[in-house]
Amino acid sequence: MTETIHNAQPNIYKPAIMKIVARHDEAPGVRTMRLEFQNPADHEQFKKTFRTGMFGLYGVYGEGESTFCVASPETRNEYIECTFRQSGRVTSALANADVGDLVTFRGPYGNRFPIEEFHGKNLLFISGGIALPPTRSVIWSCLDQREKFGKVTIVYGARTVADLVYKHELDEWQKRADVDLVLTVDPGGESPDWKYRVGFVPTVLEEAAPSPDNCIAVICGPPIMIKFTLISLKKLGFDEKNVYTTLENRMKCGVGKCGRCNVGSVYVCKEGPVFTAEEVSRMPAADL
Amino acid sequence: MTRILFSDKLDNCVAKWRSAGLTVIGPVQGESLSSYATVEKGTDLHLGLVLPDRSLKELFFPQTEPMLSYTIKKNEIETADFTPPSAPRIIFGARPCDASGLAIDDPLFGWDYKDEYWFQRRNESVIVTIACTKADDFCLCTSLKLAPDSTKGSDVLLRSLDKNRGWLVEELTDRGREAFAIISEYLQEGSEPALPTVEVPEKFNLDTCVTWLQNPENFDSKFWKEISMRCIGCASCTYLCPTCHCFDIQDEGDTYSGIRRKNWDSCSFALFTMHTSGHNPRSTQSARWRQRIMHKFNYFPGKFSVNSCSGCGRCSRQCPVDMGITETLQEISKL
Repeated sequence: MTETIHNAQPNIYKPAIMKIVARHDEAPGVRTMRLEFQNPADHEQFKKTFRTGMFGLYGVYGEGESTFCVASPETRNEYIECTFRQSGRVTSALANADVGDLVTFRGPYGNRFPIEEFHGKNLLFISGGIALPPTRSVIWSCLDQREKFGKVTIVYGARTVADLVYKHELDEWQKRADVDLVLTVDPGGESPDWKYRVGFVPTVLEEAAPSPDNCIAVICGPPIMIKFTLISLKKLGFDEKNVYTTLENRMKCGVGKCGRCNVGSVYVCKEGPVFTAEEVSRMPAADL
Repeated sequence: MTRILFSDKLDNCVAKWRSAGLTVIGPVQGESLSSYATVEKGTDLHLGLVLPDRSLKELFFPQTEPMLSYTIKKNEIETADFTPPSAPRIIFGARPCDASGLAIDDPLFGWDYKDEYWFQRRNESVIVTIACTKADDFCLCTSLKLAPDSTKGSDVLLRSLDKNRGWLVEELTDRGREAFAIISEYLQEGSEPALPTVEVPEKFNLDTCVTWLQNPENFDSKFWKEISMRCIGCASCTYLCPTCHCFDIQDEGDTYSGIRRKNWDSCSFALFTMHTSGHNPRSTQSARWRQRIMHKFNYFPGKFSVNSCSGCGRCSRQCPVDMGITETLQEISKL
């Protein structure tokens, strides 16, 4: 081995070390972990840069890194929360890690939801299944400064009752007078004691019929849900410029160099992951 | 007065550079492929090659590179960064297309987040390029608005004299001047005509191709499928390319200790973009070939105002099924 080792050089690919301080199972195979920075300088850097919508690369040495959103809001930056489904090598290693164990985080990267521009407006959050985590970061970022926004409506659906994530927070939102929560599960996914809606998200959204006036919509979900929800929003009169979403693609570097996350000419890691529906509509659909 | 470096002094120059602490690198014929490699004396250099099979890229962005090592103990993770060895070096006999390739990738490795693995090597290398007096049928620098004597990315440009007697020296940068100050005793003042650079015929009109590529309607053209039908996705084109920069990050080791590496990757591979869910945005070989062409001539110039192709022709020269950028752009210019 001819390479030399020394620590003076800043290494953009070097992650921060994080301690798992809490973990919570959300749904079958889906877990939330709260992570705390071990190095105060890393934490300071995070506090300075993190805004809702940004993502990170979470990792376990020996297994690699995986890209997902920061699920906690910018208003609570003492820690990072992430929610993931155990599905590949890295997420399995993360799922095997216990409270007190150390994992890694690289980020935050990417752009953000411009929530200052949402001040004074009504907010409509629409989310499906495991896509609530990125939406939840925006929801809490807004609810933590509730007075700055108008009416808040959250439409959330999952395939089955068991698949709903953040059940304790759904209860909390349900109880709040200043939040209008519409919960639904796909037909056949309801349990005997389910007292909310049954139906697909776009259908339920059209029935709830939120007004597009002075309203920003944030949608996040599987591609099929997004496709039909956008049609429903159009029917309801929403302008594509007022509809925001966040894209996900496979990434390795997170900083615009490894060359794979682009949709057409747009690098999701640098120019995204947050886009308006209008921006997404200009991307080549075959590359999504 | 121009200065001349005569070929019979090359051994002295190499020795002098080496004694000044520079590693001397140049085109070398290996057992199967030629490449840029370290030499000990001037006669080791194979300066008669049209260009080496392998590009200059790998000296700045190696095929595999350790980035950091990790050791995991109870409640503790120790890591140490690997950085490229501090080794000033001179690359003697680079081709203009290879030198241009480095300059093309500089903004990519430097935008926003700076990749020190690339820049440390860039900062420690002097690129001495020899203008081309011969070419083969695959060379296409002129189609990319570059030339057989283009100076882009070079610190010194040499123009050959007849009968392999030596070169006229054009120092382009301070770094080049410093390196040639070391060997000034072997340089002779003089002026005589250099050999003309080779004529490389233009193979397509780049502007026509770029206009076609920029038209969103053509993204879904059936052309992509037809042109890439025989691509076997081997990635040779991307690995030999002087500008292809895509990489993967992989851990090599176990739960307790190992090394995190940056490895060449390629848009030719299905796994390159495959999501964990199984969804793959570029699931067909034609989508992947389209990505390569679009990236080089539409996306990359859109970001960095330069095409991600320096016209070396290696992609066509080495392709096992005889495809390549030349054929694709020639066909596009006919559409």
